[in-house]
Amino acid sequence: MDWNNSYIQVGLKLVGINVAFVVVLMIVAYTVLAERRILALIQGRLGPNRVGYGGILQPFADLLKFIFKEEITPDKATKFVYFLAPIIAITAALMPIVVYPFGPTVNLPFIGPVALVIARFDIALLYVLGITSVGVYGIALAGWASNSKYSLMGGLRASAQMISYELSLGLSLVGVVLMSGTLDLYSIVEQQGGWFGMRWNIIRPDGLPQLIGFIVYLISAIAETNRVPFDLPEAETELVAGFHTEYSALKFALFFMAEYVNMFTVSMLATTLFLGGWQGPFVEQVPILGVFYFLGKVIFFLFLYIWLRGTLPRFRFDQLMNFGWKFLLPVAILNVILTATLMFFMLRQ
Amino acid sequence: MSAGRRDFVSFTRAGFAGSLRAGSFMAWTIIFFVLFGGLAIGCALSMVAQRNPLYSAISLIGVFVALACLYVTLSAPFIAAVQIIVYAGAIMVLVVFVIMLLNAEEEARRPVRLRHLIPVAVGLATVLIAETAFMLTVRGTSRIEPLPSPASEVGLTASIGTGLFTEYLLPFEITSVLILMALVGAITLARRTQVLGMTADDVLNSQALAQAGEARGIIQSGDTAATGRAMAREQIEQGEAAQPSPDGKEGE
Repeated sequence: MDWNNSYIQVGLKLVGINVAFVVVLMIVAYTVLAERRILALIQGRLGPNRVGYGGILQPFADLLKFIFKEEITPDKATKFVYFLAPIIAITAALMPIVVYPFGPTVNLPFIGPVALVIARFDIALLYVLGITSVGVYGIALAGWASNSKYSLMGGLRASAQMISYELSLGLSLVGVVLMSGTLDLYSIVEQQGGWFGMRWNIIRPDGLPQLIGFIVYLISAIAETNRVPFDLPEAETELVAGFHTEYSALKFALFFMAEYVNMFTVSMLATTLFLGGWQGPFVEQVPILGVFYFLGKVIFFLFLYIWLRGTLPRFRFDQLMNFGWKFLLPVAILNVILTATLMFFMLRQ
Repeated sequence: MSAGRRDFVSFTRAGFAGSLRAGSFMAWTIIFFVLFGGLAIGCALSMVAQRNPLYSAISLIGVFVALACLYVTLSAPFIAAVQIIVYAGAIMVLVVFVIMLLNAEEEARRPVRLRHLIPVAVGLATVLIAETAFMLTVRGTSRIEPLPSPASEVGLTASIGTGLFTEYLLPFEITSVLILMALVGAITLARRTQVLGMTADDVLNSQALAQAGEARGIIQSGDTAATGRAMAREQIEQGEAAQPSPDGKEGE
């Protein structure tokens, strides 16, 4: 087989995309279960543990429930936009998955050296930021198309919050880009090798530790994904269910999935840019270890999300917006200036 | 021969289907161009023809996405990403917010007013198509060269950045001043005028009103509940049935 034929290459990529899609959906389903169990344990109760051994089949039970529920469409909702919104949400959530490198270059038996990333191109980071910007539409349109005041309020609040924290998100990543000199995620991870696999950007021993950038990124990411303590748009106590109040059955399942896939995506971005992606001890000798390191770090971030949910109260909306614009954005800009200045002086020497 | 030139030659020799089978770059360029160009034109027509303003906004987003895909086929991925981030992701979000908040209504169907201009439009369109056909067939496509591959390995982003901060620094700085002007203007226009509009007369007038109220026993300074009760009593005495007393009794 001519492995250089472009059609074969495209076919391989399609297979990779399908595998990634299935893997992501499985991880997301079990993240939901993990969240319910861990949240329960934090709150002093047990989560769902009846279905299957210890609740392991719970996601499938939920899926069946969602499929068989009745689809209620509000009477005066704008039908086309009402159907379009969850589609935009889930598509924008799933699209960035393809650019994350989840392992180093491994030697597969027939194909030869394969870099474990589905799509490797120059502007991978910008692509992720762009798709995140488009994801706002899913929420804004859902809130508006439901023709209900709770949905509209929730939708507008959620979109305002998302576009406010997108700025800090992007700026916090500029420090990493300055240090790595490239927007290609695979190269950024490669540059975090050395120092026994621990030359991660967050603690860069021979460079500039991007700790401020990491903290700004983490806070912005939690706000982007509408998670506690920034989850006022879906606060059950105040807005019924926010922008997805009027969605039932499978459309609601799509929004639900979109939120968890978003969580997964920002966790992957955090590990890739700040925690060294697949780098770790002994990765040069045993390349496949990189995949486990990557998964471990991503799971740590997901656990962090769930932990925060069980611990912190939520921000009021004006506190949220004040914090985003008046504190986080200046800190992110300061981080960029600091990184650029220190890099300039270090390069001169 | 460079890869681009080889593709071009194979395309003209083998025809469309042949080069497609060989996985040629040129054939796929044409397919993508027709696909995304058609999508852009369709969304643009939809944007103009829709009566609901939100559907027009969504169609415009579709146009921008299609344009971004066209930029990618032209080997400009950075421009494509910036197009999505800025246009589809920020500007159109603003437009969608405005449409939602202003609750823009659907336009009613109107009769076509400028009926007599339709033959003029058709005539001009025919002239345009005739000119394009003439240029493509008689003059030929011999002057169209395939795009050269990017010269450096570094990629488009680095070259744009270098150019922006060395050769084109002055236009860059002037553009940022322009955006600053727009920002300051927007903030000034959107400011609530009550805060700025309090003149000294207003302050004195409100003090006079407060003193008059206290003299008549309506305003008890420092005790909102008592003030509310006094105001309610006043209004009942004036015969206004609209404001029931429980509002006054609740106080704060």
